Amino acid sequence: MLRILHDTRYDFIKWWKHMAILTIAWILVGVAIAAQRTMTGGKAVNYSIEFTGGTLMQLKFAQPPQIDDIRATVAQAGYGHAEIQQFGSPTEYTVRAPGATAAAGDSTSKQIERALKTRYSPTGVQVVRSEFVGPRVGAELRRNAVIAILISFVVTLIYLAIRFEWRFGLAAVVATAHDIFTTLAFIMMMHLEVSLTVVAAILTVIGYSLNDTIIIFDRVRENLKKQRKESLRDVMNRSINETLPRSVMTHATTLAATIALLIFAGEVIRPFSWVMAFGIFTGTFSSIYVATALLLYIERKWPRSGEQKGTARALAEERRRDRGAAQNAVVAR
Amino acid sequence: MSNLRWRLIGIAVLTALAVFFLFPRNRTIKVRGSDGLLRETVQRHVPLKYGLDLQGGMHIALEVDESKQAVADKSEAIDRALKTVRNRIEGFGVSEPVIQKAGSDRIIVELPGEADRDRALSVVQNQAFLEFKITDMTQALERVLPRLDAVVRDRKLAPASGTTTAATQTPGAPKGLQGLLTSADSGKKPDTSKKVALEKDSTSKDSIVTGGGAFSNLIQQGGMQGEYFVEAANINTVDKFLNDPGVQAALPPAKEVLWGTDSTVIAGKVYKALYVVDSRPIITGEYLTDARPNTSPLEGTIVQFKMNNVGGRRFRNETGKHVGHYMAIVLDKRVMGRPPVIQSAIGTDGQITMGGKDLAAAQDLALVLRAGALPVPLRVAEIRSIGPSLGKDSIDKGMQASIIAVVLVVLVMVVYYRLSGVLAVLALAFYVLFTLATLAGFGGALTLPGIAGFVLSIGIAVDANVLIFERIREELDRGKTVRTAIDEGFKHAMPAIIDSNVSTILTAAVLYQYGTGAVRGFAVTLIAGITASLVSAIFIVRTFYLLWLQRTRGAQTLSI
Repeated sequence: MLRILHDTRYDFIKWWKHMAILTIAWILVGVAIAAQRTMTGGKAVNYSIEFTGGTLMQLKFAQPPQIDDIRATVAQAGYGHAEIQQFGSPTEYTVRAPGATAAAGDSTSKQIERALKTRYSPTGVQVVRSEFVGPRVGAELRRNAVIAILISFVVTLIYLAIRFEWRFGLAAVVATAHDIFTTLAFIMMMHLEVSLTVVAAILTVIGYSLNDTIIIFDRVRENLKKQRKESLRDVMNRSINETLPRSVMTHATTLAATIALLIFAGEVIRPFSWVMAFGIFTGTFSSIYVATALLLYIERKWPRSGEQKGTARALAEERRRDRGAAQNAVVAR
Repeated sequence: MSNLRWRLIGIAVLTALAVFFLFPRNRTIKVRGSDGLLRETVQRHVPLKYGLDLQGGMHIALEVDESKQAVADKSEAIDRALKTVRNRIEGFGVSEPVIQKAGSDRIIVELPGEADRDRALSVVQNQAFLEFKITDMTQALERVLPRLDAVVRDRKLAPASGTTTAATQTPGAPKGLQGLLTSADSGKKPDTSKKVALEKDSTSKDSIVTGGGAFSNLIQQGGMQGEYFVEAANINTVDKFLNDPGVQAALPPAKEVLWGTDSTVIAGKVYKALYVVDSRPIITGEYLTDARPNTSPLEGTIVQFKMNNVGGRRFRNETGKHVGHYMAIVLDKRVMGRPPVIQSAIGTDGQITMGGKDLAAAQDLALVLRAGALPVPLRVAEIRSIGPSLGKDSIDKGMQASIIAVVLVVLVMVVYYRLSGVLAVLALAFYVLFTLATLAGFGGALTLPGIAGFVLSIGIAVDANVLIFERIREELDRGKTVRTAIDEGFKHAMPAIIDSNVSTILTAAVLYQYGTGAVRGFAVTLIAGITASLVSAIFIVRTFYLLWLQRTRGAQTLSI
C-alpha cells in the first residue's frame, strides 16, 4: 500500500514559539497594510456595496475599451467618484458608485447606462449585472455578518464543551480566532473585496478549521484514556503524528477542489475562492501548531482534578520528568 | 447476511427517493407572448431551482417610505402591502416569483428571468392610489402668483442665473432672481407660434404676463383652465419651488398643484403640464372592481375600469354636479393624460387615456389598479438584477470547476487507496445524487456560492473516508484480520467524524439564519452536502466492504 508520512515522530510542539512569532508577524503585516492604506487616504477594507451601500454595475463591452474613456463617460454622467475596475476579461468592467437614496440609486444605474450607450453604441456595451443597496440595508448586513460570526463561535464553544470538555473547547475557539485574524490579514494583503460571500467563506473556514482541530483533539482524548507512560506533551505530539496522513490527504483533496474553483469558476466567485484556499492552509496550520500548544498551556494552567485519570496521570508524569530534568541540570552543573 | 440485505435495500430506497426528487416533471408557467399577453405554457424540467445569480433575474427589497409621512405600525402596514404586491406579481408574468416579508419592515420580491428593471419597479412600487379631481376653473393660481413670486424671492429659492442657464442649456432660460436678470427673455413668453398651437383647444387664454417674478416666468397658461406648461429644462426648478414649505403655504387654499404625465411639443420645445385641481377628490379608486387595457382609435391605449354600485352611484352624483368641468384622473399624485371634459354624469364605467404609452404600459397599469393601492408608499432598499448571459456564464464555469474538482479528487483517492479508493469514489457518485436530491426535495436553490460550497464539500466528503481508511490501516498494522480491521476502523473513526461534521453543520445553520439570497444558498448546499456525505461515506462504503468481504471469503489482504 502507498503510504505517506507513515508512523512519523515529529516533535511539533517544540516549534510552538517560532510558529507563534511567525503567525503574529503575519497578522501584524496585515494590520500595517491596513494602517498604511488609511494613512494614505484610502479605505482599509475594500467592502462591497452590500456593506457600503451604493450602485454596482458589471459591464460587458463588444470591444476592449480604454479604462480612462469609461471613467470620463461615467464622470460626464455625474459620477466622478465612481470606481472603475477591470473584471476578469479585458472586455468586462465594473463601475461602483456611492449613492444615497433609492430614487437616486435607481437613476444612477440608468444614467450611467445611458451615458455609456451614447458613448459606445447600444450594442457596444451591455449591463450584465446591476445592484443597488440602500444605506440602511448596508448597515444591517454589516451588523448581521458580525452577529453571525459571534453566534457561530458561541454555538461551537457550547457544542465542544458538551462533547469534549471546556479546556478543549477554549483551545479550539482560540485557534479558530487565530484563523480569522490570519485570514483577515490575507484579505488585507490581497486587497480582496469583502462581500457577503467572503463572509460566508470566512465562516466556512471556521467550520473547516474546527473540523481539523476536533479530529486531532479526538485523538488526544483517545490517547489520554490509554494508560501509557507518557507526558501530556508526548500525547499531543503522538496525536498530531497519528492524524498526519489524514490531515495531508484531506487537505490534498480539499485544496484540489478549491484550486479548481480559483482557476475555473470565474471572477464573481474569485475572492471567495482565495479566502477558502488560504483558509484551508491556515486551518491546518492552526490545528497542528496553535490548537495543541494552546491545549497544553491550558491543561497546565488549570490542571484537572483526580477524576480524569488519564490527563492527571500524564501531567504527573510530566512533573516527574521536569523534576528529573532539573536534577539532571544540577548534576550537569 | 441479512444485515447486508437490509443495507442494500436501504441504499436502493434512498437512491429511488433521490431519483424521484430529481425526476423531470411538468410545470405550468406563465409566459408573455410577443403580443404582450400572458399565456400558460407547460414545461418539462428537472425540479432543481437555480438561484437568481444563475438564471438571471431581479431581487428587490422594499421598505416603507416614511419621507412624506411617518407610519406607526410598520409591520402591519407591510403585511397589508404584501398582499397587494403579491396580487400584482401574479399577473406580472414571471414563473415562480418569490414575495415574502423579511424581518418586520421589509418585503422581498424575486423575479426570476426578469430583466426590465424599470418595468418591474413600476409594477411593484407604484402606490396606485387613484383619485378623480376637478380642475380649477377660478384662476386661483393666477391670483396668488405675485405672492408666490415674493415668497420665492424672499426665501432665495431661485438659483443664480449662471448655474441655471448652464444646467438647462436653454437660451432664454428663466428670468431669474429678483428681476435683475436681463437675458434674452422675450423668447420665453409664449410666442405666436405657440399660441397658434394651443389655439386648437379653443380655451386657450393669453399667457400670464406678470411683472417677471422668478416663479411666474417659468410657467405659462396651458390649453385649458387650470392647466399650465413648464418647459422641460425648468421642471426641476419649478418642482423645487413647489416643494418649498413657504411656497406651499402660499398656494390657493383647498387646491393642489400636480404634475401631468404627458409632455407636449410646441415649436420644437418640450413642455410638461402642471395642473391646479381641487384638493378634495370626487371619488377614489377604492370602489374600483376591474380594470382592463384596451386600444381606441381616437385616444390610443387606454385602461377601462369599472366601479361597484356604491362607487358608481357616487361617481354619477358628483360628475352630475360638474358637467362642463374638466376631471383630472390622478394616480399617485400625477395627472394621467389630459383631463377630459365631463359631458354628462358618468356611472360605473370610465377610462384612463395612456397618452403615448404602449399596450404593455396599459397592461401594467390595469394590473396595479386591479390589485389595489398599496396601503403605504414603498421605497427600494436594495435591488439586484443579473442578466441571463452572466448567469449562464456562471453555470458553465461552475460546472467546469466542479468536474475538474471531481476528477482531481478521484485521482488522489484511487491512486492512494486503490480498491478502497474506488469504493469511496463510487460512494461519491451517490453523494452527488443525494445532495442534489436533498436540494430539490427541500426546495433549496442552487446559487453560485452554492456551487462553490458543493465543489468544496466534494473535497470534504472524502474526508470521512480518509479518516476511516487511515484507521483501518492502523488496525491492519496492529496485525488484525481484514474483517476486524474494517469493523474497528469504522468504529474508532466514528466519534471524530460525527463531532467534526456536526460543528460544520452548526456553522452553516448560523449562516442560513443570518444570510440572504446567495449566501443562504451556500449554507443550504453545505448542509445538504455534509448530510449526504455522512450517509455515503459511512453507510454506503461500509456496505461495499461487506459485499466485497462476502465475495472474497477469508481475504487475507485488503487493497487500501
